[in-house]
Amino acid sequence: MTTHDWYVENRAAYVARSLEPGEERTFRDHLVRCDDCSREVARVERELAWLPMGVPPVAPPPGLARRLAGEILDRPSRWRRRLPLAAAAAVALAAGGAALAARSDRGALRALLSARETQLAALEDTLSVLRRANTVLQTQISMNGHQQGGLLIFQDAVSHRWCVIVHGLPPAPSGSMYQFWFITESGMVRSVEVDADTRRPAFMTLPMPGVAAPVMGAALTMEPVVNRSGEPQGVTLAHVVF
Amino acid sequence: MPSPQPPRPGSTGPSSGGPVGRRPLALAGEASLRRRLVARDEQALVELIEVASPWLLGITHAMLSDADEAEEVVLEAFASAWDRVGSLGEEHDALLPWLLRIARNRAIDRLRRRRRWRLKLARADSYGELPPDRVRESEVDEAARPGWHVHESVHAALRALPAEQREVVRLAYFQGLTHSEIARQLGIPMGTVKTRLRLAFDKLRTALAPIRDWVL
Repeated sequence: MTTHDWYVENRAAYVARSLEPGEERTFRDHLVRCDDCSREVARVERELAWLPMGVPPVAPPPGLARRLAGEILDRPSRWRRRLPLAAAAAVALAAGGAALAARSDRGALRALLSARETQLAALEDTLSVLRRANTVLQTQISMNGHQQGGLLIFQDAVSHRWCVIVHGLPPAPSGSMYQFWFITESGMVRSVEVDADTRRPAFMTLPMPGVAAPVMGAALTMEPVVNRSGEPQGVTLAHVVF
Repeated sequence: MPSPQPPRPGSTGPSSGGPVGRRPLALAGEASLRRRLVARDEQALVELIEVASPWLLGITHAMLSDADEAEEVVLEAFASAWDRVGSLGEEHDALLPWLLRIARNRAIDRLRRRRRWRLKLARADSYGELPPDRVRESEVDEAARPGWHVHESVHAALRALPAEQREVVRLAYFQGLTHSEIARQLGIPMGTVKTRLRLAFDKLRTALAPIRDWVL
C-alpha cells in the first residue's frame, strides 16, 4: 500500500469528517497538492450531498426566517456605523494592499479577497436600501444661521432601515459631536454619532429604533461629547418630520 | 431503538417527478432564487431561509442536541451563504446541499472545539437511531414540506443498510465522531469501523445518485 493509497481509501471518511483531527489536517494539506484527490473528494461530496436530509426536519419557531434575515442583514450596518463607508473602503484596500506588498502569498491574497468581499457586501447592502427606498426626505443643515450642507434620508419599507447621508458638514469642534436622533411619538431616541467631513458625505444604514412608538421624523444636533443621555442637550442643526 | 418513519402513503422517490403538493422548486426556480441572492435581494434571503431552515435545524438539532446552539449554527450557515453566494459558479451544487454541508461542518467544529463528547454522547443516546423519530406530526405538515420526498429517499437508503453499517454512519456522519471514538463507543477494532464505513458510503453514494440533480 503506497502513501497515496491511504488518501484514496479515506476520501469518503474525509468527507464524512470521521478522520482523526491530525489525519484530517494531513488530508486537507494533501488536497492542495493533489488534483486527483481534490476532484474525487468533490465528487464524493456531491454524491453524499443529500445525506443530511436523512434527518427529519424541525419546525422552526415562528418568525425565525425574518429574525435570522434581520441579523444577517444588520451585520454590515453595525460595521458601517463605526466607520463611514469611504473610510472603511480605504482602510480595507490599504490593509489588503500593504499585506500583498509585504508577502505575496496565498494567505495575503485571501486576506485581500476577504477585505474586498466585505467592502463589496457593504456597498451592495447600502445600494439595496437606496434602490428600494419608497420615501426620500431631504432637509438643509443650518449652523450659526447659515446653511451648511444637507441631510438625506432614504426609507426602505422592506428591510425597515434607513440610509442616512449627511454632507457638507465640517468636522465637529473639539469637545462636540454630531448626533443623529429618531423622533418618535414617545420622544427622542438617540441613534448614532455622525463622523462628518466636508470632503466626503457620511453614509449610515440604520435599523429602526427598538421602541414600540412609531417613528415620526429625525433630527441632527451638535452635542457636547460628555452628553450620553437619552435627551438632546445641544443645538439642533436639522430636523424633519413626516 | 425507535422505528424509522414510514413512508407516507403515496410517497414516491425522486424519479417520480414529485407529486403536486410537495412543492419542490424546479431547477429554473432555484436558478432564479440564486440570481436574486447574488443581486442582494433581501426578500430572496428570507425565502431561502423559510425553505431551507427546517432541514438545517433538523441536522444541527440531531448533532448538537441543543436547540439554541442549533439555531446559532443555522444563522452562521445562512450568513456564510449570503456572503459567499456571489462567488458560486453556475456549475455549483444546488443551494440546499451546500447549506447543509456548511451547517454540518460548523456543528462538527463546535462539537470538537468544545470537547463535549461525554455530555453529548449521553444526550445522543436519548435521541436513538437515525433518522430519529422526533418530529411530532402536529409540528410539520410533511406533505407540504419542500424536500420531503428527498428525505424519504435518503431515509430509505439508510434503512437499506445492514444495521451494523447504519450504526457507524449514524455515529460518524450524524454525530460527528471519529474512527477511534466510534471504535471505543462500539468496542470494536478501528479497522472494522473503517471497513463498515467504507462499505456503507459506497452503498449510499449509489443509492443517493438519482437525487443528485434535485434542488430544494
